Amino acid sequence: MAPDPSRLDLLQGTLDLLILRALRSEAMHGWAVSERIQQISQDILQVNQGSLYPALHRLEHRGWIKAEWGISELGRRARFYALTAAGRKQLEIETENWSTLSAAIARVLRMA
Amino acid sequence: MLWKDVVLRLRALLFRRRMDEELEEELQSHIQLQAWKNRHSELDPAEAMRLARLQFGSFVCATEECRDQRGISSIEIFAKDVHFAFRMLRKSPGFTAIALLTLALGIGANTAIFSIVHAVLLRPLPYADPRQLVLVSEARPQAGISGLGMSYAPFTELQEGSHAFSAIAGLGAHALVLTGYGEPSEVSTVVVTSEFFSVLAAEPLLGRVFIPEDGRRGAAAVVVLSENLWRNRFGADSGIVGRSVTLDMRPYTVIGVMPASFHTPFVNQANQVWIPLAQDPLYSVWMTKPPGEHWMAVIARVRSGISATRVQAELDTIGARLAKEFPAEKGWAIRIEPLQQVITGDVKLPLLLLLVAVGLVLLIACANVANLLLSRATSRSKELAIRIALGAGKGRIARQLLTECAILGMLGGLIGTLVAYWGVATLVPLLPPSLPKFHSVRVDGWVLVFAFVLSLATSLVFGLAPVLSVAGADPHKELGEGARAGESAGPRRARALLAVGEIALAVVLLTGAGLLMRSFAQLTSVNPGFEPNHVVKAMVSLPQFQYSTPQQWVAFSEELATRLEAQPGMQDSAIAGPLPIVDCCVTLDFQIVGNPPLQEGAADTANYVPVSPRYFGVMGIPLVRGRLFNESDSSSTPAVALISEALAKRYFPNEDPLGRHLMFGFPVNGIVSREIVGIVRDIHDVSLGKEPGPMLYVPFAQAPLYGAEVVVKSTLSSSAVVGAIRTVTHGIDKNLPVTDIAPLPEILNASVAQPRFRTLLLGLFAAIGLMLAAVGIFGVISYSVSRRTHELGIRMALGAEPGSVLGMILRETLALTLIGIAIGVSGALATARLITHLLFKVPPYDPVTLVLVSLLLVAVGALAGYIPARRAMRVDPVVALRHE
Repeated sequence: MAPDPSRLDLLQGTLDLLILRALRSEAMHGWAVSERIQQISQDILQVNQGSLYPALHRLEHRGWIKAEWGISELGRRARFYALTAAGRKQLEIETENWSTLSAAIARVLRMA
Repeated sequence: MLWKDVVLRLRALLFRRRMDEELEEELQSHIQLQAWKNRHSELDPAEAMRLARLQFGSFVCATEECRDQRGISSIEIFAKDVHFAFRMLRKSPGFTAIALLTLALGIGANTAIFSIVHAVLLRPLPYADPRQLVLVSEARPQAGISGLGMSYAPFTELQEGSHAFSAIAGLGAHALVLTGYGEPSEVSTVVVTSEFFSVLAAEPLLGRVFIPEDGRRGAAAVVVLSENLWRNRFGADSGIVGRSVTLDMRPYTVIGVMPASFHTPFVNQANQVWIPLAQDPLYSVWMTKPPGEHWMAVIARVRSGISATRVQAELDTIGARLAKEFPAEKGWAIRIEPLQQVITGDVKLPLLLLLVAVGLVLLIACANVANLLLSRATSRSKELAIRIALGAGKGRIARQLLTECAILGMLGGLIGTLVAYWGVATLVPLLPPSLPKFHSVRVDGWVLVFAFVLSLATSLVFGLAPVLSVAGADPHKELGEGARAGESAGPRRARALLAVGEIALAVVLLTGAGLLMRSFAQLTSVNPGFEPNHVVKAMVSLPQFQYSTPQQWVAFSEELATRLEAQPGMQDSAIAGPLPIVDCCVTLDFQIVGNPPLQEGAADTANYVPVSPRYFGVMGIPLVRGRLFNESDSSSTPAVALISEALAKRYFPNEDPLGRHLMFGFPVNGIVSREIVGIVRDIHDVSLGKEPGPMLYVPFAQAPLYGAEVVVKSTLSSSAVVGAIRTVTHGIDKNLPVTDIAPLPEILNASVAQPRFRTLLLGLFAAIGLMLAAVGIFGVISYSVSRRTHELGIRMALGAEPGSVLGMILRETLALTLIGIAIGVSGALATARLITHLLFKVPPYDPVTLVLVSLLLVAVGALAGYIPARRAMRVDPVVALRHE
């Protein structure tokens, strides 16, 4: 599939933030996470499937999310990820960082 | 966090298959979901699936990356490296065997020596809170005297007036005769004040220890037995407490038994009894005498939280008070020293020296193994270059090489531990008897930890060289044309450097060993001033309660001497107080009658021996001037004395001492004025290593003791002599024990046990070091010759004489050796003064030793280089060149 110029590749590290944000209100499986991100960003942010799962496993390894087997929409087994308390804290920190960073970049762009 | 990480990693390792399956299921589930969504865009199912797969990208890559997140890789890599390392080691058994043998020798020797250092120096004394324990001693700073015991009166002042100590006790040791259970025999008797066991916080095995009531004069006589004595003499009788035993013909009630794990400081005997000072036939008289005799060792427990300076301040106050109260205490000061330091002080330097020496041996061993590894790394350079070219990271390869080294080190350590077990078993019987024996020397947990850490550290040291050589490796060069012609300069220089280092270390080791050997030779060639050959000594001591007056002692000694001399072949028999080197020494203050009194606190001292008339003949001590003692010198004739030449020279430099009078005496007989009637030659009274000091001799009949040493010079065998001494003694009194029997040469020999032990071990280590260094040089030169076969072939083909090739290789060897010797000699010069204290009549910068060591190494270097050089000489140019 040819790259779609209207869709943005994700910056390194921002994927973690998006995953944590997507999982804030409810537990969901990997595919749903990518769908949710795409949906909310109105199809602008495209999650590379090949990096989604390593990111999920990384976050699980760090203890920010935890996984449990559940049943997907298709009636098959799927791993559902949910935010842990540590993950919730991390989300706050990263959201804060991101706002600071994006505000700073916006200011630089306006001034330059 | 770290722990959790380890758990996750372990889980990943142990449940790898299940986790992989789950991962696959999760990813498949994702693709299914994507295909399901794609179907909503009205594609047919197969197309939707294909698209979903495309959208997902590489399934394998995603799987791999997910696995990496689990952190499985580093453990897996380690397992692979270990497996690979074992395969490599198996593939070159020769290399592995030599490397392992070298390492096992190095690590084993270190572990064995460490187990001695650990037991003797590092482990705290086996008492509760041992760091609170101190030795309280008296010193006379003006006279340079320190570390002496205390008299009873100052001790009681300390006991009552000191707040810094939570408990304080005095002890002395001698022997009493135990009768009633089997043969009469002497037992080591520790005479203690009643707080002795509470200072050391020691608990009995049976019964109880002393309480203050036991220490009062007039209390019932009680005794505490050692477990050893209880087992050997009383058959471990569980009803022993309350029974009576006879010591010096007097009954004592047993109140307790101390466990074998309990050791009396300074008294190294397994068969022991403890009795209260007030009940001792010998020392109890000292409780009422004014101070002056420093006979009692005093130990104390410092209250927790009180600093040494505060203790000292308090002791200074008490000391000042004592000096006012007792004239004999003027000029004396009370000092404290940690008990551990007092007990291990003498052996610290020699033991640390051995540890350093054996550490140097290990360093040489490391250099040897590093050398072997470098040679192998060079032969393996192609393998490594191919792997780098195929994409292996240098870090990855370095890691694998280090794993190989660690495996080698661990295996070496394992065999080394076996070597250590064997080494300890061999060394323990050789340990000098004077070594403190609070803990048995053995390979225990801490020693094993030491061996493990040492093996790891060793692996890092010898692994560094090959790893560094990988860091500098260039696959282009290795795989390119002409790579065969020779090795690159880097590893070759590294190997030469290692060989130089080995030689330098060997020089330092050999110099140390050489100095100790020369010193030991000097020590054993010292003329003791007396003739020990064919002289046998034995001790006869009289029970105090039976033989209580000096008259009885004189009568007994004269009877003994007369009967001994009457035996065939035993004409040369004598009786004397402390024998030189054997018992060392009774030191007394003396005053020269007619000289102005000395400054307050100062005193002239000399070693004192009462002897029977034949003593000087038996011992072969020549008379210089005047006369010797004879049978007519008795308690009813004027008191006389003989002095040694050293005393005459020091105190009568410009006058004739004959006819002058000296005031001195052993307190039992009182201090009296004695006329100097003769001068005898000096003897080494204290030890072979100590210069003869001033000596005073008095007739035994004028200054008898309750027991004495018998010395007999005879051409009879020593067992015949001993038998005769026994028969004669038991003919006078069948209950008298004859103990401490030994030929004098044996005693002289035993007196140098410590220097002999360290000289022997250091010599052994130096020999191993030299051998390893020789192997090192041999390895470097023969490897260089084999790598240069091609070059040598060309040289020969161009007309070089075999002799010149031989010369070239030998020159190369000698250059390495000489550089190593130069570095080693400077190292030896820089460090030799550290062992000055262990040397006797040999300067630490002894040129003879340095020259001999250098010559030895040149010879060894030449020999180690000659063998490969001869091979170089025989290189056939045709073969060598065809090889290319």
